[in-house]
Amino acid sequence: MAIADVKEYAHLTEEEVAELGRELDQIRVEIEESRGDADAAYINRLITVQRTLAAAGRVTLFASRWKPAFFAGAGLLAVAKILENMEIGHNVMHGQWDWMNDPEIHSSNWEWDTAQPAEQWKHSHNYIHHQFTNVLGYDNDIGYGILRMAREQKWHPANLGQPVYNALLATLFQWGVALHDLDIEAIRKREKDPKVMKKQLRQIWRKVRRQVGKDYVFFPALTGPAFVQTAAANALANLTRNLWSYMIIFCGHFPDGALHFTEEEIEDETRSEWYLRQVLGAANFTGGPLLHIMSGNLGYQIEHHLFPDLPSNRYGQISERVRPLCEKYGIPYTTGPLHRQYGQALRTILKLSLPNRFTTSDRRDGPHSPEIPRGRRADDERPVRRTETGGWTSRATA
Amino acid sequence: MIDMPAGGLGHFLGKLPFASRGDLGLDRRKVTQCALSRICGVCGESLSRPVAFLGSTEEAGRNAFHFPPTHLACAELAVATWGSDHGVLGQGHPPASWALVTTSGFEYVRPEAEWVDRRAVFEPNSVIEERALTP
Repeated sequence: MAIADVKEYAHLTEEEVAELGRELDQIRVEIEESRGDADAAYINRLITVQRTLAAAGRVTLFASRWKPAFFAGAGLLAVAKILENMEIGHNVMHGQWDWMNDPEIHSSNWEWDTAQPAEQWKHSHNYIHHQFTNVLGYDNDIGYGILRMAREQKWHPANLGQPVYNALLATLFQWGVALHDLDIEAIRKREKDPKVMKKQLRQIWRKVRRQVGKDYVFFPALTGPAFVQTAAANALANLTRNLWSYMIIFCGHFPDGALHFTEEEIEDETRSEWYLRQVLGAANFTGGPLLHIMSGNLGYQIEHHLFPDLPSNRYGQISERVRPLCEKYGIPYTTGPLHRQYGQALRTILKLSLPNRFTTSDRRDGPHSPEIPRGRRADDERPVRRTETGGWTSRATA
Repeated sequence: MIDMPAGGLGHFLGKLPFASRGDLGLDRRKVTQCALSRICGVCGESLSRPVAFLGSTEEAGRNAFHFPPTHLACAELAVATWGSDHGVLGQGHPPASWALVTTSGFEYVRPEAEWVDRRAVFEPNSVIEERALTP
């Protein structure tokens, strides 16, 4: 089944798909040609604001034995960590700001304020997730290897515990992300290259030591008698960041409108078809400018997946052109308020804790496929490439 | 050297570059991985700044390279090691003179259906230096 057979695209001719691709290319070119000083000023200003907030938080925590200072310091630090992870780190590591030729703000050397080493994030997120977006058996972001998020994923009695696993994942999100690229399923099946695993574990250990040392030893020690309160405030800031980033990320691909795909072939997917898969596999949420900045502009998840290396401050502007294009070509553009998008993702988590026979699908329906084995498939496990283009099939999930 | 990969260069001498294999010497999956994971097409380790692109003078003229980004040191070593070989560095026939472009950033352009050469290309977007290299 080719992408042209997917219900949402079936009305499009090959020429129309190619034309849509050209129109999206044109948007890309215009943004590339117009990016400049104003964009650079945006990211530099944001980094200054973020560092000021972090410094203010750290300084406030010198008085953390006084309750208002405890909560003020933790709050300032939480906002700083959210900004650093979501709008700065994630986007810098995509290479969105490499064009500035800034020695510090560059995808090759940015190390973010969370437990996962940047190098592993650039593999698990930039490559695996963005290349195999919502492809079952490839994209480990579908449930993070812990949750069953698609009806095609085989049910196991352990899935009954999903509500609990979900709460744990949200609470401990940075640690879950830290282990994400290890591919626990591959380790469990003894399919992981021991050399790679050892290298990754060493990187994770170094990063964890640094993060724990910073938040729970160095900065608390600086505050002397307020050591315990400062460490607790830092833990609260990390927890707040965990819960926020978990919610934003789960709104990107699990609301009802976002489809999952099964791979038949990938090598010959054209740029236009790749664009189509990104639009159908992602979901936006609506909100004001502050919400978009605090969420790393991932409220424009569709635009981010179409153009992951264009500056995030332009996604709002891009969305004003992408949405009419989707309407013009009759392609679904999934969006809604944050609470509704997260509510749908949460409902999927709860429903799929049960076997399929106890629940019905809430998402746009597609043909049912055989169950997909658990875990991420390695590069050499992919099917032999075919010469014809278009091999993506959409699948209903929850 | 500042852009030397963490594991040094010696460990891949005598082997093929990380992104090589497949048609015209390039493994498409690894090319995509290099582009998105920001890793070197020669040694497979994280890139550093500036990023280097290696290709023919025609590719440099079009600002569209087929071989993925590399470390500067890896690009120089690759030309010295494989610069006269067929099909290793994304070229059907080795060029008489290689072009080496250093840049801070690049665009990764996926192939479109009408392209005769269905390989992705890389477009440096903030060129720092361009020079010729001979094997």
